[in-house]
Amino acid sequence: MEPIIRLKDVSMVYGGNGTRATALAGVSFDVRPGEYVVITGESGAGKSTLLTILGGLQVPTGGAVRIGGADLSRLPADGLADFRRGTIGFVFQAYHLLPYLTARENVMVPMSPERMSPREKASTADALLASVGLAGKEDRLPSQLSGGESQRVAIARALVHDPPVLLADEPTGNLDSATGEQILDLFSRWHGRGKTVLMVTHNKANLARATRSIRLRDGRVEEDRVVRPLSAQPLAV
Amino acid sequence: MNLRKLAWKNLLRRKSRAVFTGLGIFLGIATFVAISSITSQMEGAVQDQLDRFGANIVVSPRAEQFSLGFGNIALGGAEVAHSRLTMADKERIASIHHKDRIRSIVPFLMTAADASGKNLVWMGLPAAAVAEARPWWKIRGGTGPKRGEVLLGAEAAARLDKGPGGTVTGGKRLFRVAGVLSPTGEKEDGMVIADIADVQALAGTPGAVTYFEVAALCKDCPVEQIVDQIGQALPAARVSAIRQVVESRKAAVDQLRRLGLGVSAIVLLIGGLMVLVTVMGGVQERTREIGVLRAVGFRKRSIFSLLFWETGWVSLLSSLLGAGTGIAVAYLASPVFGIEHPSIVFPPAILGAVAGLSLGLIGAIPPARRAAALSPTEAIRSL
Repeated sequence: MEPIIRLKDVSMVYGGNGTRATALAGVSFDVRPGEYVVITGESGAGKSTLLTILGGLQVPTGGAVRIGGADLSRLPADGLADFRRGTIGFVFQAYHLLPYLTARENVMVPMSPERMSPREKASTADALLASVGLAGKEDRLPSQLSGGESQRVAIARALVHDPPVLLADEPTGNLDSATGEQILDLFSRWHGRGKTVLMVTHNKANLARATRSIRLRDGRVEEDRVVRPLSAQPLAV
Repeated sequence: MNLRKLAWKNLLRRKSRAVFTGLGIFLGIATFVAISSITSQMEGAVQDQLDRFGANIVVSPRAEQFSLGFGNIALGGAEVAHSRLTMADKERIASIHHKDRIRSIVPFLMTAADASGKNLVWMGLPAAAVAEARPWWKIRGGTGPKRGEVLLGAEAAARLDKGPGGTVTGGKRLFRVAGVLSPTGEKEDGMVIADIADVQALAGTPGAVTYFEVAALCKDCPVEQIVDQIGQALPAARVSAIRQVVESRKAAVDQLRRLGLGVSAIVLLIGGLMVLVTVMGGVQERTREIGVLRAVGFRKRSIFSLLFWETGWVSLLSSLLGAGTGIAVAYLASPVFGIEHPSIVFPPAILGAVAGLSLGLIGAIPPARRAAALSPTEAIRSL
């Protein structure tokens, strides 16, 4: 099967003369469609940098990144924006919902520049909110939602354009364990529907749901192992 | 949800910032509209006064001054006219190229003659033209004189001890006093005013005219051209435009207008800077939000549009509000500036609203460009 993500000798060096900091140093791996990859490592290992490179938010200083057939280093700024909108769904640790918008409106934000009718946008948002268990809470502001509910809204927002790849940066980091489990259930459900999931986490419990684990150390891949065979059925949720 | 609504929602969240952003534009536009409206109405008032003044051109015989003296002793001077004006000259004036711009031609004859035993100056003009030629006259006891009647200036009435209903002899004729003028502060206070035909008969100079007062339609009136044309029609006459008073008043209004425009320009400049500074500050505060928007696939152009819409909303509302306030202030303050009949002047309000919106949008360009150029990496680092 053709990999959906291919990294080859990817490096990322921050700073200039005298203050150079290497975040990634020659990272290479492939991810096949439908894999659920958990990326672990200590703080400063390069996990978040790797995620932003995979999301097309920054271009590596060396190496090549291909996702869904696109060479990210060759895409112009608008091309990268289109790539993010169509291919990537981002979920952040701190949700990053816009506080002045309701849950429905937050989910509609990625559709704002598009020429769709407001009704169509709203029905898409409502369907996604219902799919993450937030039916009836569409008109609530983030301040009226719990942490888990906010993260569900963020997941719904990431899924608006039905991206094939979901990137998550410590999505359960701000949640208690029970709520965190519910969020992971959602990821498992969407993984079960064919999404490729890459999740940065400190929590080793998240490994149980993954098909593969990659551990980074000092900007290099220290370990890359299969947790469950990809051909196996995803965990029932 | 679209970019316009997203921008609007963000404004509602930061009401005080939005108010501060729009305050400069509001003040600038309100100042501009108020001053422009007032000066525009003042110009109209000046024009009204000119119209009420009646004539704006005087046609009199060309004359030369001769000084008389003997050795180093000055004996005064004499003015010698080249020719006399007559009633027939009225037709010549009325036949000029710009005749359609001439509202009225009123002949006057001045002569010194006996009035009930007192030597007074008689002013003759067509009885029917009194109201049009001297609209500011206030006549006690009646209206303008008919043939065989006179009006007395306030001082003349006092000297003759006559009032409305009385009689005055002139030559061998008896004239009924139709009314007495309230004091005007002019020489006519000491005159006897009668129909020009009566005065011509009294002076024994039928058809004679001392001068003509010509009233031309004044708005954008080519007075100089009319003066030239009358001069060509009556080569022996001196034709003068009465412009000094009006011009000085117009100059004062122009100065006020320039002052107002200067103040408005400064306030608007400050308003534009306020927009630039507050929106720029807003961009810095919203780096995280911009990062989220870039992460969910917003193009640079969409970020630019979002900031542009936000400032557009503020500029539009503050411009409209400023224009409305300016109109209201101008209307209420008009009496203070001597405008008797205030009216709403729309062109400055429309111009002000467009200028305010444009200024706000121009002020938003640098911060919007900065937001759009914000690297996703830089934005996302704050997440």
